[in-house]
Amino acid sequence: MAVPPSLFPFPTSDERDDALSAWLDGELPAERRAEVDAWLQANPEEAARVRLWAADRDALRARLVSTASEPVPDRLQQLVLQHAPEAATPWWRGRGQWAAALAVFALGGLIGAGAMWRVQPARAVVAQAPAGSWVQRAALAHSVYVPEQRHPVEVAVAGRTAEESRAQEEHLSRWLTRRLNVPVKLFDLREQGYELVGGRLLPDGNGAGPGAQLMYQAAGGTARVTVYLRKPDEAAPAAFRFERDGDVNLFYWVEAGTGYALAGSLPREQLLALAEAIYRQQPTPAASAPK
Amino acid sequence: MSVPASFRQQLLGTIPRLRRYARSLLIDAAAADDLVQTALERALSHWHQFDQQRDILVWVISIAHNAHMDTLRRGGRLAIVDPHELQVEQDLRGSDPGADVGLRMDLIAALRRLPVEQREPLLLVSVEELSYAECAEVLRIPIGTVMSRISRGRAALRALLDGHAPAPAVQTLRRVV
Repeated sequence: MAVPPSLFPFPTSDERDDALSAWLDGELPAERRAEVDAWLQANPEEAARVRLWAADRDALRARLVSTASEPVPDRLQQLVLQHAPEAATPWWRGRGQWAAALAVFALGGLIGAGAMWRVQPARAVVAQAPAGSWVQRAALAHSVYVPEQRHPVEVAVAGRTAEESRAQEEHLSRWLTRRLNVPVKLFDLREQGYELVGGRLLPDGNGAGPGAQLMYQAAGGTARVTVYLRKPDEAAPAAFRFERDGDVNLFYWVEAGTGYALAGSLPREQLLALAEAIYRQQPTPAASAPK
Repeated sequence: MSVPASFRQQLLGTIPRLRRYARSLLIDAAAADDLVQTALERALSHWHQFDQQRDILVWVISIAHNAHMDTLRRGGRLAIVDPHELQVEQDLRGSDPGADVGLRMDLIAALRRLPVEQREPLLLVSVEELSYAECAEVLRIPIGTVMSRISRGRAALRALLDGHAPAPAVQTLRRVV
């Protein structure tokens, strides 16, 4: 394509058109803009062409702009207000992180669980749990059962009398211990202001046997936290880790052949206090039931 | 895990402009609302990926763009075309007197004839008044590409309205690499 001198300062007609179009959209830097202004003054035919583009733009706007003021169909409004997407969450993607986490777990075993405990909480990593991990299932189980008003647990511990409650607690603990094949202790979080509601048995994939969920509710409140327990895939003691998903915070660790995940919509510090209480009460390796 | 109420409210606010964009892109109102629904569903299931520093409208429109491209791809109407080839093709059509259909076209009909890779940026900038940078973000293409596609789109639209230009019977979507 020949470039007539009138094209100057544009090297080609394409570049000229790009510049004129960007000029129309107010996308040119000031200096370049002034240059194009001057060029349009000197080239009235080109200026007329740009005016046509401007008219087309205005016509498009006029024809299409009013659609935005139409009332939003109820169907779309309800969709946005109520649609519960399939559990697609940010943190259980990617196997790389799982491998990294396992490496940390193994290292934790060497250093010693006690030392890790003291070191990790302060700077516990916001980790990425793997797809299909037990931590994912713990978080999922938390969000499924915590909002339940009538059936939050499978076995409730509240009895009409103190004896009845104690009997229920003993039954729950024994039942879950038998089914999980790990010692399930019902942690006492009353000092931290949480009372045990009860527990349930949950399927936990990958042939690892079932998991258990214990639910606690704030005394005189509605806030609930859950503790998820299961027999871990690897019996290695694991570092203490923190994770956040939306408004659910999670602390999880593996100790003495049991995986623990504490989930709750509480500030991290409050949840940490509960995690520490659980950690102190969990069965020690020596006291744990033989496998 | 559940979608925060504040995010739902933010998303609700984008619907009018999202619908307008979908309508301008597809013209057909029912098809446009289907696209809007798909985009909203995807936005809800990926809400955690939304960076609050960003403009939610730009984010949702880019989801709609992706959903639309998915639909076109499924329909098998997407062929990969080299940008240079595309331009040559358009230059040829533009200068071919035989391509002169001799009819002045209605604005919307002319818009529909534009290849989608020109129609989208032209609409985003002209009707939605997005900046070139935002447009580049929505379409995931460089700003320079946005600029040239808009100027090509403008020239093609004008040519259609003047009654000379490409009137392919079957609209083929090309992805310009």
